[in-house]
Amino acid sequence: MRSIYRELRFLSRDRAAILWLGLAFVITLLAVTAGLYEVQSQRSRLMQLLQADRSDRRIVTEKHNDWGSIAYHSFHLTFDAPSPLAFAALGQRELLPWKHRIRMLALEGQIYEADATNPAFTSIGRFDFAFVASNLLPLFVIFLLYGLRSDERAAGRFELLVATAGNGGHLWMTRATVRLGLLALCILSPLVGAAVGEGSPPHLVIFAGSAVLLHLVFWWIVSNEVSRLTQWSSPVLLTALIGLWLWFAVLSPSAIHTVIERLIPLPNGSEILLTQREAVNDAWDLPKKTTMTAFTERHPQWRGQADINQPFEWKWYYAFQQVGDQVTEPLSQQYDSGRLARNHLTTRLSFLAPPMWLEQTLQSLASTDVGAALSYEKSIRNFHAQLRAFYYQKLFEDQPFTAQALEQRPEYSKAHLH
Amino acid sequence: MNTPLSTDIALEAKQLMVVRSGQVVLQQLSFVVEKGQIFALLGGNGAGKSTTLLTFLGFLPPTAGAAYVQGLNVEQHTREVRQAIAYLPEATTLYTHLSAQENLSYLLTLAGRQIDRAAIDKALDTVGLPTRAHAQRLDAYSKGMRQKVAIALALLRETPILLLDEPTSGLDPVAIDELNTLVQNLAAEGRTVLMVTHDVYGACQVADRIALLHNGSLVGTFSASKGAPIDTNTVHTAFKEQTVR
Repeated sequence: MRSIYRELRFLSRDRAAILWLGLAFVITLLAVTAGLYEVQSQRSRLMQLLQADRSDRRIVTEKHNDWGSIAYHSFHLTFDAPSPLAFAALGQRELLPWKHRIRMLALEGQIYEADATNPAFTSIGRFDFAFVASNLLPLFVIFLLYGLRSDERAAGRFELLVATAGNGGHLWMTRATVRLGLLALCILSPLVGAAVGEGSPPHLVIFAGSAVLLHLVFWWIVSNEVSRLTQWSSPVLLTALIGLWLWFAVLSPSAIHTVIERLIPLPNGSEILLTQREAVNDAWDLPKKTTMTAFTERHPQWRGQADINQPFEWKWYYAFQQVGDQVTEPLSQQYDSGRLARNHLTTRLSFLAPPMWLEQTLQSLASTDVGAALSYEKSIRNFHAQLRAFYYQKLFEDQPFTAQALEQRPEYSKAHLH
Repeated sequence: MNTPLSTDIALEAKQLMVVRSGQVVLQQLSFVVEKGQIFALLGGNGAGKSTTLLTFLGFLPPTAGAAYVQGLNVEQHTREVRQAIAYLPEATTLYTHLSAQENLSYLLTLAGRQIDRAAIDKALDTVGLPTRAHAQRLDAYSKGMRQKVAIALALLRETPILLLDEPTSGLDPVAIDELNTLVQNLAAEGRTVLMVTHDVYGACQVADRIALLHNGSLVGTFSASKGAPIDTNTVHTAFKEQTVR
């Protein structure tokens, strides 16, 4: 403890180290604040949308009194509210939509028409805690440690210090521990403070903190070994360590993403949207029987009520919407399974790039990873299937519209996510 | 295994050979420094003087032979050996953003010693550092003042052995005289001093014994006779012969 206190006092006079630590704290604070601001703004947008959503449907109900029109005009808000740790790693919430307004129409196009709202973020990433911990933390470790030995050598103090301490290893270890302990404090205290404010589950915060510490230890080992095994001067060491940072934080993740994209090709959301729109538009010109046959293959229970005798019937209209989904189903499944496969492979290969591993881990803990995005999309499909089941019964059984029966209409809730 | 040595022997180089970057820096170097003795290693640039000190401190492992400090093999007992030695490197650069008091306080804690401020001030007074400078940052110090702080560190560590690398380098004549007096006082207290220098006159003034080093080998030794310092002319002539050759 005495040596820790000694190095703490020593560090308190080291302006460069204090500057780096202060910068680390301020940047983390800004990143956490930006994350908090973003999730707060998402939550308040959700609150407004939820109110507007209910109000819109009430207006539709006042204007219309048949199941087909009500189904057509009613929008339903689906959403994936930010988790209590989402502020730390916004992840896929920046890339993929986390809210939709869906109708009884063909669904797949509705899911993907809002894809890639922020394509710029796919390359640069959001300035959030995960970004700081993954990409900037290594730089702070490097700046705090690279000159630990080499600066003393350059100043002609190295031998004096080691001879005075008796054991150089203990001296450098204590110095590094104090510096990195304070760095960890600067990085983790804003996270913990915000997590407490957000009511994040403690075990998730502990996992997140442990992952950050593990990442910090990795860079400690890298910095320590490079400076221990070489007699390089400080500028050369700094260059070498920045080179390693470039490799692990920039080049490796890029290479991994490129390899994965080559290995697992994906259709994009717009392809699905286009295919579905073409299928739905073509359906207007197809014989109604063709549409209803395709529909009843999936819903045999309505085979007895599938005859269409009028030029326009709502049940035919919704049937061809569903057939549109059926046409795009292989593409959608390929898209989902491809994204899942890419995500699995990315997780595996991320061990080759620790900053990437940390980002993935934090996104997973914050439920903002690809898995969470896919779960949300699945919840939309489940909800939409419930809506269809509700309206199909009314339409195919030709039930009269009543406000009481409408109250039984499914509502999207958090439960759909699980 | 430690070589059993006489309790009167503080330092011993035994058939010492050190190779650095493929070059033989010390070869067959043997000498003994008795306790309380001031021993000067004299030689030109590249003679191996600083290498000898670094070998005694355990920074350079001998390729052959061994170095002993108070009977302990340096390679096997590096930590204990370092605890017994106060080392004053050439052109000492202590932390310039700290004051003399802070430098000493930090370095003494590093050595595992808890010394109060009064003792630090007393040591700084002893080495002749003006009192007003004690609390000043070292970046305002002259080279001689910084050297005095480093010497104060050696004093405060109260180790039985001092290794001084070119201790008078850059000092003014008055400061050199003060340093020589200080070194002699320390020896009188029973401390052993091994200093390396290329200052023939200074070495003759202060040392009990002088060893002349050339290309990593010992080429001559000179001892002071009772009460009289080593003859500067004799040493100087030998020194010139070696360096010209």
